[in-house]
Amino acid sequence: MKDLQHDSAKLHVTGEAIYVNDIESNQQTLIGKILYSKHAHARIKKIDISQALLINKVHAIVTYKDIPGKNNMGPIVYDEPCLAEDEVNFIGQAIVLIAAENEYACIEAEKAIKIEYEQLEAILDIETAIKKNNLLAPPRKIERGNPDGVLSNCEYKIKDTLHIGGQEHWYLETQSCLCIPGENGEMQVYSSTQNPTETQILVADVLGLESKDVIVESKRLGGGFGGKETQGNHVACWAALLAQKTKRPVKIHLSRDDDQKITGKRHRFIINYEAGFNKEGQIEAIIFEQNSDAGAATDLSMAILERAMLHAENSYFIPNIKIIGKAWKTNLPSNTAFRGFGGPQGMAAMETIIDRIARQLKKDPLEIRYKNFYKISTNNITPYDQLIENNRLFILHDKLSESSDYWSRRKAIHEFNTKNKILKKGIALTPVKFGISFTTSFLNQAGALVLIYKDGTVLVNHGGTEMGQGLYTKILQIASAELGINPKNIKIAPTNTSKVPNTSPTAASSGTDLNGMAVKNAIDILKSRISEVVTVEFNKDFKYDLTKIENIEFENDMVFDNFHKDRSMTFKEVVSMAYLKQVSLSSTGFYKTPAVNFDREKGTGKPFHYFSYGMAVSEVLVDSLTGSHKIIRTDILHDCGDSLNTEIDKGQIIGGFIQGVGWCTTEELKYDKDGNLLNHSPDTYKIPSVQDIPDDLRVELLKDFPNENTIRKSKAIGEPPFMLCFSVWLAIKDAISSIGLHQIEPEFSLPATNETILLSIENLKNKY
Amino acid sequence: MKKYKNAVAFILNDKLVEVNFNDSRSHTPTTTVLNYLRNFPFHRGVKEGCAEGDCGACTVVIGQVNEENKIIYQAVDSCLMFLPMLHGKQLITVEHLARIEDNKIILHPVQQSLVDKYGSQCGYCTPGFVMSLFALYKNYNNPSKEIILDALTGNLCRCTGYQPIIEAAELACVNNGTDHFTDSEENITNILLQIKKSTKTLSLKTKKQTYYRPAKFKKAKLLRSLHPEAIITSGATDIALKVTKKHELLKEIIDISGIEDLKYYEERPNTINVGAGLSLEKLKTLSEKALPALHHMLTVFGSKQIRSLATLGGNIGSASPIGDTLPVLIAYNASVVIESIDNKRIVNINDFIKAYRKTDIHTDEIITGVIIPKPKEGTIVRSYKISKRKDLDISTVSACYALKLNNENIVQSIILAYGGVAATTKRALEAENFIIGKLWNQEIVEEASQIIFREFAPLSDARAGEEMRRIAARNLLVKFYSDSLTF
Repeated sequence: MKDLQHDSAKLHVTGEAIYVNDIESNQQTLIGKILYSKHAHARIKKIDISQALLINKVHAIVTYKDIPGKNNMGPIVYDEPCLAEDEVNFIGQAIVLIAAENEYACIEAEKAIKIEYEQLEAILDIETAIKKNNLLAPPRKIERGNPDGVLSNCEYKIKDTLHIGGQEHWYLETQSCLCIPGENGEMQVYSSTQNPTETQILVADVLGLESKDVIVESKRLGGGFGGKETQGNHVACWAALLAQKTKRPVKIHLSRDDDQKITGKRHRFIINYEAGFNKEGQIEAIIFEQNSDAGAATDLSMAILERAMLHAENSYFIPNIKIIGKAWKTNLPSNTAFRGFGGPQGMAAMETIIDRIARQLKKDPLEIRYKNFYKISTNNITPYDQLIENNRLFILHDKLSESSDYWSRRKAIHEFNTKNKILKKGIALTPVKFGISFTTSFLNQAGALVLIYKDGTVLVNHGGTEMGQGLYTKILQIASAELGINPKNIKIAPTNTSKVPNTSPTAASSGTDLNGMAVKNAIDILKSRISEVVTVEFNKDFKYDLTKIENIEFENDMVFDNFHKDRSMTFKEVVSMAYLKQVSLSSTGFYKTPAVNFDREKGTGKPFHYFSYGMAVSEVLVDSLTGSHKIIRTDILHDCGDSLNTEIDKGQIIGGFIQGVGWCTTEELKYDKDGNLLNHSPDTYKIPSVQDIPDDLRVELLKDFPNENTIRKSKAIGEPPFMLCFSVWLAIKDAISSIGLHQIEPEFSLPATNETILLSIENLKNKY
Repeated sequence: MKKYKNAVAFILNDKLVEVNFNDSRSHTPTTTVLNYLRNFPFHRGVKEGCAEGDCGACTVVIGQVNEENKIIYQAVDSCLMFLPMLHGKQLITVEHLARIEDNKIILHPVQQSLVDKYGSQCGYCTPGFVMSLFALYKNYNNPSKEIILDALTGNLCRCTGYQPIIEAAELACVNNGTDHFTDSEENITNILLQIKKSTKTLSLKTKKQTYYRPAKFKKAKLLRSLHPEAIITSGATDIALKVTKKHELLKEIIDISGIEDLKYYEERPNTINVGAGLSLEKLKTLSEKALPALHHMLTVFGSKQIRSLATLGGNIGSASPIGDTLPVLIAYNASVVIESIDNKRIVNINDFIKAYRKTDIHTDEIITGVIIPKPKEGTIVRSYKISKRKDLDISTVSACYALKLNNENIVQSIILAYGGVAATTKRALEAENFIIGKLWNQEIVEEASQIIFREFAPLSDARAGEEMRRIAARNLLVKFYSDSLTF
């Protein structure tokens, strides 16, 4: 398939691309602002808005009392009030909304609102939540074999705890929404959301309307990464309340600091693990206890925990395994979806175990990995009972360990470390096996609406949102290939709930898999209608050797009989003819992923349609005196099936990998003793810059391994590459470990900031 | 000829614009260039990503006429720039890069390369990258990777992982900077010179604010004596945050960024004298040979966008314990030149810093320059910075050391200056006293480093904990020792 450039690339580079905050709205548009809790846990005794109402240019002040519908924006469990009533549960929780003619008036009004609190005891970390038994929901379990029994008899054992940090999404475009009230109470919502349907439902709920009264449109997001899967709903609900109250358009565009303070993040985890293995490094049993910090409400925490549990074993066959998952409630913003959706946290503990086994047995970690990989015909069933088909681990391992020269570089690194006292090198090759499908099985569905106009141009509507990942471009390629027409004659419409209803969020890496298939389905319907007309037309002068409908092909802007190539018409002529023959030229399309299911109670099923695989080797240089590190080289080999667009897929791989590197190294969230986030701007929250990428970065796609039963034999690509970052994380650990000549297990956690690295080295030196 | 007194005049892409604050409802003298632009429906390519100069989504390019009457193009963060700072300059925005020829849009080479290399994903950071690339394009032909990375350090992207953007830079910057701006350069230069000639002091007044922008230093001193409460600003990279983050109303401002006399760099027989208004970017370039430790510190100072605005005077004047040039100036034993309308003082940098963000400066004085003694023959001066992210980050710990050994390898003199370990930049005096007169060897250095470990009582904060800072401060001396052996 021919790679197209990103369909908005020219708009991006000229500054013409329109995001929510750029929409030219009329002079009447007001600015909305959120007044939020300054305490992590408190009773609200009194809210006094009287002075704020007197401020010039202020048009509305809204509290929970003004909500005409339900006071809820929890997407699954109704435990997230839109505006706090008598209690606040985290710093950043919305209490009062302000609409004014400009930002200054909003700020003045904010200062004039007086809230009296009575402070309550707050739980600000997982440890305290565990002590107080503040579970969000009953624990979950996946178990196979006899992990407890086997563990107690294992010759070699490891038992420890891994601390894994959260992550701020840091989409460049902060949460934003513009709401325009219409006639009859209707609301038009322009939202930077990954989930237009849910935004529609929640806006309707708080406004006391029904879905038919609310239209949500999302043209493009300035980055999402999961951060706008549910969190975009909040800003939309707030803007909608203000718009309804003032009967004027209202726009909310969060400041960077507010966005970082009030929205949820990647869940931090504390994972207790216990592993048993033999002297060859074959793992016999593992028990994981995953504890996640859900924050103050449910949001997607249980689904995220589920995915963490479903990825706890990563690419390895563990005969006896128990995975216990517990989500804990704390007084922090409710944590939410973020690329990988729990998968990264689950895998981090597994990769740590592998790394530790290798150190303990004085073997290379790659040897231990290889030994424990899922096998092709045996040892190929996951702890949750899904058969692993089309295992790509061995082909990736063989190709990458060779192309990256892993073994000779390992030797060179050892020599370097022997010679150098201050600078130390490390290397690691880590695998990713990532399950594709929503584990909430019914979400695996998508709709489309394809319109063919009389002039032969085509407008494609589908339910997925474009957040930079190139979904619209891939859909455009799919539509172009399926219709056999030049992509110039096709446009992908902004995602709109009034065109395609009941859409699933654009998440779980599933955007192209689901929507691409739905678009193909719509096009197949249209093609069969058109083919009928064309067949009649082709056959009108013949009595023998007739054109058969199944031989009609659409290609190169032509429609023709594949067996009588002279019988052909241009697509444009065909469309025009079909119109005159009174044939419908629009169709919906639908797709549901076949045969996925998961029984949460039993912890078994086939939750995933297939798995995406990738591997990376990273080599790092660590300065043992400063704790700083540098990625010298990274080699990545990733499996995208038959890639729909190699450059876009490579972009997802590099971008996801670097985002993961940020999570593993420089991105750190710290809270003070009252629950205030200390890193609430890029001044102190450090995502990777251009200087932090590997000096030498080599990315290849696995070729000639088409996927079965997906759109044009492709594979999902959004999330899996994120977890290639463990190659950097463990290469850093390898470099640290060399200081103790790999005899001592270094203290290590995630992220490995220069502080973590320096303290680990200090500790190692004291032990050595 | 028209005189500019109460209006700001600049060229917006290719049109002369005058902003008069008396009758403006939407702008004040402290409106940022970013907010000014975004007020127009057709200038929304420029984006706010953080409003503190850390992400570069708001990057624009400023064209300024240099001494040779040529236009120099610099990328800056428009969120940190007050509108009057544009006076006499050309403001170039992303909308003006492409041209239309025969009804077809011809993208600028930097734009076309980004498209070809898949350099945009969500696109929100892209206009900022385009402008940084445009400045790179105008200033370098076939730039090295190091130069490309430096040009892009001030722009954050969360989607691409940067690799395709680096490739786009390599692809685009091959035409010696030639483009449609080359054609209009002469005309633009003439207008800008005209504005300069017609301006002495801008005095911009609204009901709530007064903003002065003198062109001559003498006038600045006079204004200073008349307005002791006024905030002195030049690059505004720190002051702007009071507006963008804290929403403070700055009532009186004296902006000295228009005073050319304060932008000197002079090599004298025994000293190097630097004007307080010299941008850190220029200082970085000029100091490479003579003051390598200062140059090194400036390579990891902020980003190109910030360094192009920020000045040495500003970094000293803010007296932050994590101000990166301060330990370097202490190690070089520099002095600060301070002037008022009737007095001039030269104060050693050690005496100048009084306490946390407090300096020895009176309300009628302005920092005008810094005198840096040339290190004596054989003196080793080296600077170090430890930060969570290597670039565009504030120091966790910074240090600069100056060491002079005699022929017997005995320490004749040593300065160990640190940032980030106390309320002000500080010398490790106890360790210095211990080392002086001793043999410069591993054993002594290890012992001295332990003294440093005990000598400071740093804080724990959002950046790092107290223990990390102590260890880092200690280790840096060991690192310096190791580096000194290969010097």
